[in-house]
Amino acid sequence: MTAGIADHWYPVAMCSGISSPRDTRLLGQEITIGREGEQFWVRDVHGKTLPAIARYGHLWTSPGQPNRDLFSIPEAEAPGRRLVDCGAVRVKCSPLRAVENFLDIAHFPFVHTDILGAEPYTEVSRYEVQIREEVDEVWATKVKFFQPQAARSAAGGITTEYMYRVAAPTSAVLYKTCPPRPGEWDIITLFVQPLTEELCDVWPWMALYDDTSPLAELVSFQQMIFMQDRSILESQIPRKLPLDPGMEAPTQADLTSVAYRRWLKRIGFTYGAQVVAA
Amino acid sequence: MPARVDGQDLAIWRAASGQTHVWGDRCPHRGMRLSRGFVRGETLACIYHGWQYGNDGGCTQIPAHPNLVPPKTICATTYACAEYSGVIWVALQTTTQVCRSFPGQAAVRSLAIKASAEKVMEYFSGADTGVVCVGGTNDIALALQPIDATHCTAHALASVSADRKEVSRWLESQRRSIELDLA
Amino acid sequence: MILYDYVLSASCYKVRLMAALLDIPITLKAVNFHPEKQHKSPEMLRLNAAGTLPVLVDGDVILVQSADMLRHLVTPKNAGWLGDNPAQTEKWLDFASRLNASLGMARLHDVLMFDADIDQVRCDGVAQLRQLEEWLTEQRFDGMTFLTGAAPTIADIACFPNAALAEDGGVSLDPYPSIRLWMRAIRSLPGFIEMPGIHRLHELSPAPARPE
Repeated sequence: MTAGIADHWYPVAMCSGISSPRDTRLLGQEITIGREGEQFWVRDVHGKTLPAIARYGHLWTSPGQPNRDLFSIPEAEAPGRRLVDCGAVRVKCSPLRAVENFLDIAHFPFVHTDILGAEPYTEVSRYEVQIREEVDEVWATKVKFFQPQAARSAAGGITTEYMYRVAAPTSAVLYKTCPPRPGEWDIITLFVQPLTEELCDVWPWMALYDDTSPLAELVSFQQMIFMQDRSILESQIPRKLPLDPGMEAPTQADLTSVAYRRWLKRIGFTYGAQVVAA
Repeated sequence: MPARVDGQDLAIWRAASGQTHVWGDRCPHRGMRLSRGFVRGETLACIYHGWQYGNDGGCTQIPAHPNLVPPKTICATTYACAEYSGVIWVALQTTTQVCRSFPGQAAVRSLAIKASAEKVMEYFSGADTGVVCVGGTNDIALALQPIDATHCTAHALASVSADRKEVSRWLESQRRSIELDLA
Repeated sequence: MILYDYVLSASCYKVRLMAALLDIPITLKAVNFHPEKQHKSPEMLRLNAAGTLPVLVDGDVILVQSADMLRHLVTPKNAGWLGDNPAQTEKWLDFASRLNASLGMARLHDVLMFDADIDQVRCDGVAQLRQLEEWLTEQRFDGMTFLTGAAPTIADIACFPNAALAEDGGVSLDPYPSIRLWMRAIRSLPGFIEMPGIHRLHELSPAPARPE
């Protein structure tokens, strides 16, 4: 495995779900995770201790030598937010396809019908995308879309605004209009654990301003949305994400995906990607 | 609906006008299987982003950009197909062969078999470009669709006067014995 | 009526779907089945000692088997949903519980990482789908769209979810044309509702007019 892949941080468990030691997989390699009191640990198959960070409800590790700290989501630390663990859903797809789908809004009317989108409100207006060199992240801002039921706490249809952020190759953060608190953003993340190049565990996590909805309803809303995506993700051909242009046909609505693929290629992140020799 | 021929994934769909199409099972946009899509009038739409494709496979509508005329280059892969005696035939390559018709016979059912088309042909020991004819009181013909090295689908035709349940049950028993032979 | 519900559960969906088709309002109480295992919490165990979902509470009546809930939802006014032949209906309700043990378990294994003998449950599921395919093909020869006749019954609603969600558990539905036609007929019923993994049939609604 090249350093371009090994040196990133990856989610491998929900902190609240770790009691006794447990085996899992990361990038095709067996690893063991566990805890001693408040301290979490991760070991590789040779018994070597790997770096471990508990943050945003999840345990993160890296099989390589990460040259920087795990990304931060400062807004998520603000007081008054509810931090919601959603658990993992396993998907037979490339971890990169899972992230790319999370960055996409144009599918809302067809896959999340009457919830996140509905015909005839299918148009995706122009938004801004940048690869922010100083933090080495992909950002999409000023993304707007009409939603019939934008969140658990949204009663009717509204035009919702989003910002998307790819904070690590397999981790993305969504900032979205928060109906009860105009001016603030709800935070929904997609932390993807690459088990193999074509199998992943997807850990959604949320930091919301919502004091009224029961926890079970918040979790069920998120799981419903993700399971609607799952049947798409398991039916894409090829399973791996094509990084070279030509295989697929992006439009202006896909600028985030185009930037994501370009960024993956630039940083040499090819795990779960289909790279055809030029 | 989905189908696989010689390892190639296909989407088969029928337009409102009744015309049948066989396409590659892949939306050029994001590789989603078109067989999961939906038919509106004379177009097939992909379930992922609703991109619509017309009779010639060309993209006619991109819902994310309703005012955009999709470039001609965005096109589903189309294959020649024909319908005879209730069976849809496809040619993955250009061919001059004419589809075989089965006068006096009608399609009964399609049965997936866990055996290659060759094995099934061998079992009935009669080879004829993917079609094997089996005699008997019901005058049954099997049109074999090769899927891959270990799977095929038998599209069964029988004389219009045949008892279809009887034919269907006979097919089930043949499948059991073919699969047992291989086990 | 209160349904203790988990959005991804095929068995809970049977009850939601039946209620929607009969236009009976039910109050859904979301239970955090995954990841919290809230169905095993003391409150839920007091309702249902078996710790399973769904649980339907209607006044003093507490039901814990989805087949009982389907029967409970059918009123004399809708008695057609019980079918003309009770033995047939029972047979397919029993078949539905076997689908739950095979395809349902394969799905829990593949999606939520439950322990299962995955090859065995998939193999059982394929054998059952073949049985279902053969039966529905014969029904079609007789001009019958559904499991026990020309009209749907609780047996169809009981069998539909785990069959329709088979691919979630790695079992392809591609080889079963009669099952697909039957699923399509169910998905086209007035009042039909989806669940995650079973998409809306967009073709049933005409292409909508463009917004102003």
